[in-house]
Amino acid sequence: MSGLRDSRVKAAWVQEMAQVITHEGDGEVYKLTLRAPEIARRAVAGQFVEVRPVPGHQAPVDPLLRRPFSLCEIRPEAGEISLIYRVVGRGTRALAALGAGVELDLLGPLGHSFPVPSAGNGRLVLVGGGLGIPPMAAAARWAVSAGRETAAILGARSQRYLAGAAEVAETGVPVTTMTDDGSAGAQGFVTEPLEAMLADGAVGEVWACGPEAMLQAVKVRCASVGVPCFVSVERHMACGFGACIGCTVPKAGAPGFLKTCQDGPVFAAEEVELGGF
Amino acid sequence: MGSRLNVELFGRSFKNPVWPASGCFGYGREFAGHLDLSQIGAICVKGTSPEPWLGNSGTRVVETPGGMLNAIGLQNPGIDHFLHVDWPWLQSVGATVIVNIVGRTVEEYVEVARRLEGSGVAAVELNISCPNVKEGGLAFGTSVKGASEVTAAVRQATSLPLIVKLSPNVTNIVDMALAVESAGADAVSVINTLLGMSIDIRKRRPVLGNLFGGLSGPGIKPVALRMVWQVAGAVKIPVIGIGGIMTGEDAVEFLMAGASAVQVGTACFVNPRAPLTIAEEIEAFMEANGYGRVGELVGAARPTAGAEGNLPKLGEAVPLPVAKPPIKKATGETADALRQFLKDSDRA
Repeated sequence: MSGLRDSRVKAAWVQEMAQVITHEGDGEVYKLTLRAPEIARRAVAGQFVEVRPVPGHQAPVDPLLRRPFSLCEIRPEAGEISLIYRVVGRGTRALAALGAGVELDLLGPLGHSFPVPSAGNGRLVLVGGGLGIPPMAAAARWAVSAGRETAAILGARSQRYLAGAAEVAETGVPVTTMTDDGSAGAQGFVTEPLEAMLADGAVGEVWACGPEAMLQAVKVRCASVGVPCFVSVERHMACGFGACIGCTVPKAGAPGFLKTCQDGPVFAAEEVELGGF
Repeated sequence: MGSRLNVELFGRSFKNPVWPASGCFGYGREFAGHLDLSQIGAICVKGTSPEPWLGNSGTRVVETPGGMLNAIGLQNPGIDHFLHVDWPWLQSVGATVIVNIVGRTVEEYVEVARRLEGSGVAAVELNISCPNVKEGGLAFGTSVKGASEVTAAVRQATSLPLIVKLSPNVTNIVDMALAVESAGADAVSVINTLLGMSIDIRKRRPVLGNLFGGLSGPGIKPVALRMVWQVAGAVKIPVIGIGGIMTGEDAVEFLMAGASAVQVGTACFVNPRAPLTIAEEIEAFMEANGYGRVGELVGAARPTAGAEGNLPKLGEAVPLPVAKPPIKKATGETADALRQFLKDSDRA
C-alpha cells in the first residue's frame, strides 16, 4: 500500500503560456483544449493545472486568483492538454468567455498523480462522479497504456452532467454509467456497481474523483474488503503550489492537515478525513 | 537588477525594496526553481511560533472581488523546525531572511526572538495583528498597551532589527505606530489584512471555517496606501508598505506615500515570480523617469516642508468638506451613529 502511495508522481511544475485550441460548452459545462507542450510532456493523470481565467497579458486584478483544474486529457505527442469545468462563479464565467487563439497563463503540472499503474495487479476500477469524471479519462488512458485491466464507473445527476464520459469511453475501458434520474445508464449511485465489482474479488485497486460524500462512500467500501483506494480531493486554493496553506484536508487518525495541492490532490484514502466539504 | 534598487533600512542594506510578505511565501522552498531567491530583497517567512501550530479547520481561503480572504490560522512548524531545517536551507541558497513571529503570550514572542539571536537573520517582524487566531495576536495589535508591551519585551530580548507589523483593524493606526516606535521598534510594516467575511448563500453558512478572515489583494490597496501615508507622516522609523501591491506602479505609489520598502503577498500566489517582477518594474519606472535611487521615490508624493500651502499637516487625512448633515431627519440610533461618524471623521 505504501508502495503504491509512494509511486504517485510529482513533477517539477512550470509556468507556461498556453494557447486555446478549442473551447466548447453549453453555457454551463465547458471543455477547454490548450496547446501547452511543456505541461503535456511532464503531466500524468491526477495532476492539475492552475489557470488564470483572463487572457495572459492582463494584470491580475479581478478575477484575481488562478483556478485549479484536473487534467482530462494529456497528449504529449501533440503538445496538448484538455480540461472540463462547470461555470460556478466569477472565475469560470470569465474563463468561459474566452475563445480559440487566446493565450492563457498556466502553472503545472501540480500535485501528486494517481499511483503508477502496472499490469497484473488485479483490475483497476475508476470511479468518477460529476466533474470528477474528466480526470478519469487521463487515468484510463494511463492505465490502458500500462496494460492494466481497467473498468470505469461514472455517475452524475443526469445525462447533462456526464461531461468527460465520452473521453473515458474513447480509451476503450468498459464504462458503467449511473445517473440519479436514470436519464443515462442505470438509475442509482456509483457505489452500487462498485459493490458488485468488489464482491467478485478481482478488483486490485480503486481510484475515485468526485463529490466528497461519494469519495467517503467509495473509501468505506474499499476498506471493508481491503482494496487499496486512492481519492482525488478538491479544495479552494489561492496558489496551488504549497505557499498559501489554504487547501488543507484533515489527516485521518492524527491531528493536523495535509495540503491538497502538494500532498494531494490524489491521496491514499486512509490518510485523509473526508466528508467535511 | 541594478544597484539603483538598493535600499538601506535599520543600518542594513537590501538588494531591492520588494519583499515577499509573511504567510505568502512559506519558507521559500515552494518558489525555488521559479526565481533566484538570493535576488529577493528579503524574504519575510511564515509567522513562526515556539511550538508548531496546526492552523484552522474548514475552508481557509476564498476569493472576493479584487481580493481574497484567508483564515489559515497561522499554521507553522515552529521555531525548532525553522532553525534546524528551513534556515540552513535558506542560507544555502543565499536568501536574506526576516522572521515573522507569532505568539499567544508576550513570553512566546520573546522566546522566538531569543532563539533567533545570533542566527544571522536580517530582522524579526512581530505579527501583532493577525486577525485569524482567536487566542493569537489580536489582543496585542488592537490596543496601544498590548502593542507597546510586546514590542518592549521583544526589544529587551533581541539585538536584531525589530519590525512591528500593524493591524489596520484599529480606530487609529497612527497611535499604534507611535506606541511601538516609542517601545523600541526599528520599523513598522503597514498593513496586515483587513478583517472580513464571506457567506455561501446556497449552503447558508459562512464560507470560512473560522467565520472571519483577513482580506488582502488589490481591493485593499487604497486603504493600505492611506494608512502608510498617515503612519509615515507620524513616525521617524522606516515604514514598510503592504497591501494589494500587484505591479511596480503599485509599489511606487507606496514608496511615494512614504514607505522605505514594500512587501508583496497575494501577488506571489498569482505569479510566483512577483517579487522580482515588481522590483524590475520599479527599476523600469525609475529609469524612464530619471530616478537614480529608491530613496528619491520615498515620500516623493508628500509636500515638502515649507511648501504645504493648504495641504493638511503630514500624517493627517484631508478633512472632508462636510456639508451640513441632515441630522434633523434622522432619529434614535441613526442619528447617534451619524453623530459618531461625524465625530470620527473630524478626528481622522
